[in-house]
Amino acid sequence: MLKIFLAAAIVTGTALLPAVASADPARDAILAGYLTQAKAEDPAFTDFSAERGQAFYLATQTGGKPDTTACQACHGADPRVAGKNVKTGKVIEPMAVSANPKRFTVAEDIEKWFGRNCKDVLGRACTAAEKGDYVTFLVSQ
Amino acid sequence: MTHRIKVWDLPTRVFHWGLVALVAAGTITGLVTQEWWMGVHILAGYGVVALIVFRFIWGFLGSQYSRFEHFTFGPREIGEHLREILFLHPRRHIGHNPAGAAMIFVLGCLLVAITATGIVVLGGEEKQGPLASVVGYLLGSGAKEWHGTLVYLLLALVAGHVVGVIAESRLLKENLVLSMITGDKDLPDDLPRPTVPARPVAAAGVLLAVVGITAAGVVALYTLAPIRSPATAHNVAYDKECGACHYAFHPSLMPARKWASLLADLSNHFGEDASLPPTVVNEISAWLAANSGEHWDTEAANWFLEEDPSEPLRITATDNWRAKHAEIGAEVFARKSIGGRVNCAACHTDFASGQFDDQAIDIPEE
Repeated sequence: MLKIFLAAAIVTGTALLPAVASADPARDAILAGYLTQAKAEDPAFTDFSAERGQAFYLATQTGGKPDTTACQACHGADPRVAGKNVKTGKVIEPMAVSANPKRFTVAEDIEKWFGRNCKDVLGRACTAAEKGDYVTFLVSQ
Repeated sequence: MTHRIKVWDLPTRVFHWGLVALVAAGTITGLVTQEWWMGVHILAGYGVVALIVFRFIWGFLGSQYSRFEHFTFGPREIGEHLREILFLHPRRHIGHNPAGAAMIFVLGCLLVAITATGIVVLGGEEKQGPLASVVGYLLGSGAKEWHGTLVYLLLALVAGHVVGVIAESRLLKENLVLSMITGDKDLPDDLPRPTVPARPVAAAGVLLAVVGITAAGVVALYTLAPIRSPATAHNVAYDKECGACHYAFHPSLMPARKWASLLADLSNHFGEDASLPPTVVNEISAWLAANSGEHWDTEAANWFLEEDPSEPLRITATDNWRAKHAEIGAEVFARKSIGGRVNCAACHTDFASGQFDDQAIDIPEE
């Protein structure tokens, strides 16, 4: 009986894990805000995609600075482990919400970093759709 | 006929060879090896102090030939002995001969001066040791000149001592070095035998009292508040915002005027956009102004306060930073775990405190 209960608990717990990782009211509100913005920017936009976010995270970009041609230049190919600022060697805590639950919970901080880093990597500001995809990808990780 | 006597008692021999080892260790770690041997250097210095204190007590309570009264000679006797050596016929002395005795007092005084200036440097420059809260940086760095000069004088005298021992051993056909190891000398029967025994218990009692008084004094010194060390060593906004992209530099590492210039244009922060909301900039500016290099007495703070005509805002571009790191090759900074000159914390394990102790340097191999 106990074994069955434990197994059930583990299965339920595992199934709930991704949901638990993203379950932060502040983060949900931030994502909702980006969704509204994305729809305003492009009326055809429906919803964010973790796959698009992953591709964006890993892609090599042009238009930015030579040292920082991708998100992963500093954040690392695996967002679940710590990255390192490519210029200063400063360790950057993991981007994946599963590894770092504080991620994407303070709107000003997110905007500060998108503001700086999109300029460095892409040479332009990111769209709301790109931001939302990026966050959705890292919430799923 | 000859008889064997114990000229040098065990404590005197241990003192002599212990001093040889510690002076060698102190000299090598002070003049030859890299900075991070400073911990060994300091230990060697404290060891020398302990030996000198012991030897001073033993000079009154040791066995006959270890006592100062048996090797205190006047200038005339010393001159006479040197003249005898010059004519290659020195008279034999059972204990220290007059020239050797004079050398011992000079060496002893020199070692006192060297360790004393060393402790002043340690307290003033490095903000370590018993005088950390007593001696200011300027006095400490001044004492460093003396500390070094006296060591060269010591080395010259040590060379003289060794030459003297060899010369005298040859002229008198006796092995003085072996005597300092075994403590024994074989003497003709007509020479007097030693009559004054050591008083080890009394010596131990005096030593214990000296150690007790010193310990109490040192404890009292350690409880004193450090010289010029602001209480507000951390600021949450500074640590969060500035410490996000690079390890947050200690506020003592730049003078206030440079911090102000730096904060005035965060949108172009060495080519990066590090702009922050005005309220945050104001908070960080005020904190940096109150904790800038002028407010600290540490070596690093004083080092970076020095005028540099080109006034670079990049710490690693200052003349003093370059001078300090001149021996570190570019390939070291390029190592994976370091990643660049800006990453002080990669090698300076006490980076966050602004102390930058020599012995806290640990350069990663990869």
